[in-house]
Amino acid sequence: MPEQKEQVVHRVLLGKKQILVTEEEPLLVQLERAGIHVEYQCREGYCSSCSIKLLWGNVIYPFEPLAWVQSGYLLACCAIVKSDIEIAFFD
Amino acid sequence: MSYSTFNRKQFDSTKEPMFFGENVNVARYDQQKHPIFEKLIEKQLSFFWRPEEVDLSTDRKDFQRLEAHEQHIFLSNLKYQTLLDSVQGRSPNVALLPIVSLPELETWIETWSFSETIHSRSYTHIIRNIVNDPTKIFDDIVTNAEITKRADSVSIYYDRLIEMVNLYNTMGMGTFDIPGRGEIEISMPKLKKALYLTIASVNVLEAIRFYVSFACSFGFAERTLMEGNAKIIKLIARDEALHLTGTQHMLNLMASGKDDPEMAVIAAECQNEVRQIFIEAAEQEKEWANYLFKDGSMIGLNAQILGQYVEYITNVRMQAIGLETHFATKNNPIPWINAWLVSDNVQVAPQEAEISSYLVGQTDNSLDDSDFDDFDL
Ligand code: FES
Ligand SMILES: [Fe+2]
Ligand SMILES: [Fe+2]
Repeated sequence: MPEQKEQVVHRVLLGKKQILVTEEEPLLVQLERAGIHVEYQCREGYCSSCSIKLLWGNVIYPFEPLAWVQSGYLLACCAIVKSDIEIAFFD
Repeated sequence: MSYSTFNRKQFDSTKEPMFFGENVNVARYDQQKHPIFEKLIEKQLSFFWRPEEVDLSTDRKDFQRLEAHEQHIFLSNLKYQTLLDSVQGRSPNVALLPIVSLPELETWIETWSFSETIHSRSYTHIIRNIVNDPTKIFDDIVTNAEITKRADSVSIYYDRLIEMVNLYNTMGMGTFDIPGRGEIEISMPKLKKALYLTIASVNVLEAIRFYVSFACSFGFAERTLMEGNAKIIKLIARDEALHLTGTQHMLNLMASGKDDPEMAVIAAECQNEVRQIFIEAAEQEKEWANYLFKDGSMIGLNAQILGQYVEYITNVRMQAIGLETHFATKNNPIPWINAWLVSDNVQVAPQEAEISSYLVGQTDNSLDDSDFDDFDL
């Protein structure tokens, strides 16, 4: 599909990996496309299964998720990445 | 103080804590202290479904073709889920409604518990579709040692809280000598601690206790067996995820001190006990997996894999309420389960849901006797 407009691209650091993501879709689908397994259940912000550590950087939520978002975490299924970020799964 | 069904005091409910403040009087939602609970109500209502909409006629044939040890797995899980939803269909109401202080939370508790009664009815729907004599299965729930062991753990915190609140409402604060029970001290910190541990234990119930059973149901469905059952379990799993979010909000609000500063102190004191509730439940679920597979495994699942899944999911749930994870398992050993759990695939549009004519007949039958019995009360 030809791209109509310049897409904003951010880097997502995950351990030694680096994934490029856009602001067009939530983080979860883009990580999955990059072959990374992320835990999920509802994929619409109400179960908290997709909670991932956000070490630094910014994300926003187009709709406020029903699940509680712990400080220092993001909900991958509905978070839109707004800057370069670093994330981590369980230690 | 005794409970009043319509508190005559004038007060601003947005200044009340979630629990142990004023009894709710007007069921009003124009001003809310924690609007999240009304959002949960709306979501739960949008999930509404009826067990009878799911056709189980193929499941009956499938069930007869299962090997004996697979039938054991299937029926044992149904019994365990029946136990869990029996508890959940009443206990949030019995334990929490007498002490809740916010209208939006009160209504969420009722909506939540109501949805559990749909789950209970769905087990009867499943069981009477696959076996000729449902009685034997239901009767076993109160005698089967593996089930009753779990009944103790899921009801102990509820029962203690209910006992304490009853004393509080009739006697007030103090230490009371209760025949057969010994001395029970009632004070606000003790009540709040009992409440916090109850919510933690319910959180664990919603978060972990269903998932071995879910995995087995979807394990059968992966082999295109018991697919009607899997459809129902998907609907139940969707509801349970929302209930889980409800208890996570309560726990996190309590721990944050934003709702009730005293509760934050209690939450901090209870941290270790809450960790233990998680760990004990996870160990019980692993034992449950051993019991399920004692006579043989099913394709793609065995006690060891399920044990790892329990550990993994326990870590996820602990992290969600700000606890350090406990188990070494950092990866989901059965990632395919998520595709079954996702609510996107869940559709109960009337055109999709095949209405079972068998069940339509059965609904009429049951109206004759059991439904009207209730009116005697
Ligand atoms: S998958 Fe449920 S909140 Fe993200
Ligand atoms: Fe339930
Ligand atoms: Fe539930």
